[in-house]
Amino acid sequence: MKELKILYLYPDLLELYGDYGNIQVLKYRLEKRGFKAIIDKYCINDDAPDFNSYDLVFAGGGADNEQSILSKDLIKYKDDIKKAVQSGVFFLLICGAYQLFGKYYKGVEGNIVNGLAVFDYYTEAIEDRKKRCIGNIVISANLNGKETKVIGFENHGGQTFDINTSFGKVLYGNGNKFGDSQEGFMTENVIATYLHGPLLSKNPEVADYIIKYCLDRKYNENLILEKLDDTFETLCRNQLLEIFKDSQ
Amino acid sequence: MKNFIIVVIIKIMHIVLKIFGKNGGNLLGKLAYEWNPNIFKYFKIECPIVAVTATNGKTMTNNAIGHIFKTAGKKVISNVEGNNMETGILSTLLKNCTLTGKLNADFLVFEVDEGYVPVVFKDLKLDTLVILDFFRDQLDRNGEVETLILKINDFLKTYNGNLVLNNDDPNVARLGKANPENTNIKYFSVEKYDFATEKIKEAGEGKYCPFCNTELKYEYYQYSHIGKFVCPNCDFGNNKITTLATDIDLKNRSFKVDDITYNIRFNSIYNIYNFTACVCVASIYNIESETIKNALSTFVLNNGRLEEVEINGTPTVINLAKNPTGANVSLRILNEDDEEKELLFVLNDNIADGFDVSWIWDINFDKLNNVSRIITSGKRAYDIAIRIKTSGYPASKIEPYLSLSDAVNSFYSNNIKKYVIANYTSLQPTRKEIFKHK
Repeated sequence: MKELKILYLYPDLLELYGDYGNIQVLKYRLEKRGFKAIIDKYCINDDAPDFNSYDLVFAGGGADNEQSILSKDLIKYKDDIKKAVQSGVFFLLICGAYQLFGKYYKGVEGNIVNGLAVFDYYTEAIEDRKKRCIGNIVISANLNGKETKVIGFENHGGQTFDINTSFGKVLYGNGNKFGDSQEGFMTENVIATYLHGPLLSKNPEVADYIIKYCLDRKYNENLILEKLDDTFETLCRNQLLEIFKDSQ
Repeated sequence: MKNFIIVVIIKIMHIVLKIFGKNGGNLLGKLAYEWNPNIFKYFKIECPIVAVTATNGKTMTNNAIGHIFKTAGKKVISNVEGNNMETGILSTLLKNCTLTGKLNADFLVFEVDEGYVPVVFKDLKLDTLVILDFFRDQLDRNGEVETLILKINDFLKTYNGNLVLNNDDPNVARLGKANPENTNIKYFSVEKYDFATEKIKEAGEGKYCPFCNTELKYEYYQYSHIGKFVCPNCDFGNNKITTLATDIDLKNRSFKVDDITYNIRFNSIYNIYNFTACVCVASIYNIESETIKNALSTFVLNNGRLEEVEINGTPTVINLAKNPTGANVSLRILNEDDEEKELLFVLNDNIADGFDVSWIWDINFDKLNNVSRIITSGKRAYDIAIRIKTSGYPASKIEPYLSLSDAVNSFYSNNIKKYVIANYTSLQPTRKEIFKHK
């Protein structure tokens, strides 16, 4: 049986906005097609994980306090993570994890939290603590040449700069900064984004993009994924896109 | 003089509203507060004020405390309808005071929103504060739980009144250290119940000691992060318990404190906590246990908080769930019941609910016990359908309806036992729709 190995980073600390749902959706869509999903969790004080042995690495968003605790731990694996990214392991990074993979995060008081600097972007907190990019968001992402509407919910005070390849164009909502035209960061094997929801729950095409990439890479083929019954997802997407269109 | 005029005007408005059959909710308090934010100082209160705050269980506990006092023959003024921000409490005070601001009562009992405790009790002398629990709740509106806790912690630094704390919630128990000079701190706790687990089963907060950052050690979890814990490093959590509930029997709906059996009308572990807090408060004011027994055995809250009704012969349990813990508690009751049943889940995303519905992914839908069908409704009917499907429950047994009346019609097309979970703004419309089938 074909299988994907998924590494879930800091499930006890980065678990604020139901982001774990992304793993559940991946598992669901793999198992429905007869593939196996092996999910390993890594927490602070566990043995160092072998990043390169995984097909997919996932990390979500967390509370500010938790985020600063784990950044010190994560930085130990900076070089391993860089190598894994270069060798093509897929990284799905949401919100806080998205920020941590950049150069740094500058807090409200000007304090700098060093990132992994795997990517060149950086994030600065907005001075007014009460001001955050909060709300529903729709972007248009290019998935294997196909423009796809991606729906989520953003809730971040950080403004991310120096993105050259974004996840998508903003159709509704804010994006990387207040009123930005671009959202997130993307390469062939990385999706880093502010979108909660959880992201994959309302965007089966993004989930399948990730699954196809990982299986193709691992088994060296060009798979056509079996279609699943996405009736609820389609109803949900149509309903929400209609609402957001009206309120634009 | 200004305050006197405000009170007179508000009183007249209250009478006018009453003539038109309106209650006014927060409105009167809001007007008065805008006129003079210091109006709280105007009231002459000679009786004790008891307040309840928490993420979940405020309304239930507030009403139960009031009911106990009333059963003891006391005169109680309380915000029983749940208007719990500063304007809501102000409304209650204004409606019940004399023109000179006097409140004639033996007790004032208030539920207070977690974020508003410092505002409300800046100028009102609080005699007893009860804190039940802190859970993640509408993150896009309230922010992180930690911010709220720190706010209350700051307030407690100079507070010397009675403080009734849930010792089984680390985020509540830690507040007992806010003011080391306060000698009136009373911790309550509940002994392990039948469905307690060794591992955490539902989303929770507070995994680390707030004082030394060591991972907390749990002997067991009752629900979410509520359970018996201690910090292995600094001993945080090891407090002397004033009120301990034992012999928890949810089937027969009873528990004991100091060997006295209390019969109740609810069958949820979460209510055992609420009522243990009530017993603790009642003992502070020397209410006799016989009176507490009578009061708790008759106490119900017919507003969709674990409300049990028969709809055309079909037993139905309705419960509000504003956050993951609320929903998880409802699912616990459902799973602890072996009978065949159907579930209706109604989810809205209006302002008062929070626009972000991602919290439904923190609800544990795994291994539902004998649920033959699930109907979803509300503005986000499809979101919750996707959530339940992904947990492994068969999609073919899930029916989403955007229209609430269609959902409820389909729900009552048979007479299998019903469980209903509805979030904040969907609760009353759902009840209304259900009661049409009565």
